Amino acid sequence: VSVSHFQAKSCICHMCGAHLNRLHSCLYCVFFGCFTKKHIHEHAKTKRHNLAIDLLYGGIYCFMCQDYIYDKDMEQIAKEEQRKAWKLQAFTPTVVSHYQCTMTGIGEKYSTWEPTKRELELLRHNPKRRKITTNCTIGLRGLINLGNTCFMNCIVQALTHTPLLRDFFLSDRHKCEMQSPSSCLVCEMSTLFQEFYSGHRSPHIPYRLLHLVWTHARHLAGYEQQDAHEFLIAALDVLHRHCKGDDNGKKANNPNHCNCIIDQIFTGGLQSDVTCQVCHGVSTTIDPFWDISLDLPGSSTPFWPLSPGSDGNVVNGESHVSGTTTLTDCLRRFTRPEHLGSSAKIKCSGCHSYQESTKQLTMKKLPIVACFHLKRFEHSAKLRRKITTYVSFPLELDMTPFMASSKESRMNGQYQQPTDSLNNDNKYSLFAVVNHQGTLESGHYTSFIRQHKDQWFKCDDAIITKASIKDVLDSEGYLLFYHKQFLEYE
Amino acid sequence: ASKMNKDAQMRATINQKLIETGERERLKELLRAKLIECGWKDQLKAHCKDVIKEKGLEHVTVDDLVAEITPKGRALVPDSVKKELLQRIRTFLAQHASL
Repeated sequence: VSVSHFQAKSCICHMCGAHLNRLHSCLYCVFFGCFTKKHIHEHAKTKRHNLAIDLLYGGIYCFMCQDYIYDKDMEQIAKEEQRKAWKLQAFTPTVVSHYQCTMTGIGEKYSTWEPTKRELELLRHNPKRRKITTNCTIGLRGLINLGNTCFMNCIVQALTHTPLLRDFFLSDRHKCEMQSPSSCLVCEMSTLFQEFYSGHRSPHIPYRLLHLVWTHARHLAGYEQQDAHEFLIAALDVLHRHCKGDDNGKKANNPNHCNCIIDQIFTGGLQSDVTCQVCHGVSTTIDPFWDISLDLPGSSTPFWPLSPGSDGNVVNGESHVSGTTTLTDCLRRFTRPEHLGSSAKIKCSGCHSYQESTKQLTMKKLPIVACFHLKRFEHSAKLRRKITTYVSFPLELDMTPFMASSKESRMNGQYQQPTDSLNNDNKYSLFAVVNHQGTLESGHYTSFIRQHKDQWFKCDDAIITKASIKDVLDSEGYLLFYHKQFLEYE
Repeated sequence: ASKMNKDAQMRATINQKLIETGERERLKELLRAKLIECGWKDQLKAHCKDVIKEKGLEHVTVDDLVAEITPKGRALVPDSVKKELLQRIRTFLAQHASL
């Protein structure tokens, strides 16, 4: 007999049987009575039991004072019991709107903040208050270009506008694990967030960040223009290592066991299924990823543009102007079964011999922030060039068709469900775009970032300007940052 | 009079089923989120503050507040939220037709 079954049968008023009506329990004997109909009052009067507890909120009512009374010890007990009760419940994903994103600690009930003594002290000594309205520009700040460092600047803009990362750093949750905090990139990120949300409007000079990056990612050192995507991966890697105090990459790096903020936000799982063409045995591996690199039409790898609506439904509401490649096209290509050819036979454990096979990639686990890298820079043996093909990308993205689970149901003959509003787990919203203008030899990076749900700004080193959604969606797109719309407590 | 008893009994049975299956808690959480999103919680909080200011912090009781804000709270729930909750309950009832 489950708890809720018990609750259904016994949490009722002993006089009228009602479940609702502010049920209270007598604190002297076993009696439940509703407050609204005054049944608990009657009981209190006749039995002279003057204390009762509200079964919903845990408040103590005194019938002599005729009001709720607040005792510190009782409040503590109530809080603790509520917290325990919360942990027992299984909840469906909670709606978290874009600017309300918070991580209060996985698995804990949201409770209003009560300052500690120390916090009260700090508040008294720091009386300056800042109000965040929908029009305020807090969080926007330009970055000085220190010599072809626009590749770094645009990634910094994207990271400082990643809501979960922002909340993590602004609520001071980083505890430095490094031997010397001055070489900790995470500490520097924390400082960076403080700078961005300080309200200062003058551009920030990220010389310390640049120095730390040069120290910890040697391949990026020097004043040449670097690849923004490479910088992103290197930065995430250093941050991930420094979260555990791993200064020189010597500690055993087990991505499966790390639970640092970087892994919590950016790490997804990519499933690779290799199917033997003879015995149809499938060999599956799952690898962690921080980004998805997508081939584009016009590259030297064969690209098969799928005809519009080949799945029979419009995915992600992208207008399929004939000829325009969409992000969804690229993702479909990325997750299509690929015949590995006779020159790349795989040793099949079922057949015990080398056989031809097909390989397919799908998403096993989606990260909270998904970064798509459009492979515009080609560095093959023959040529180095930039692919400038326009790829249209949506404001909202549903990753359901590319999930490992979707592939399984397709294979089992189940037709793809029309996007129902109840499966919100795979829906993403665009929040940052990094663009590259120019050629491979001389180019410039800029970024668009999203503020306050629907305001977009263009970040060009030190210059921040307001942008329209059209500006963003018409841009070429090199790195696309999407954020999950709904967060689940685990 | 017998129709009223039947309705009350039906309500009680449905409520029991909702509690047993945990659906009631889920609906409550959904409602909570919706009411925060549409600003209802903030509106009522502001109203509470007004009532407290009026009556004086030392003299106001929980019952005063309940009496004051219950009608306002009920009236301020947006129709869209009501519709959505009703739809959820209807779906639930359809799934548990053995009632």
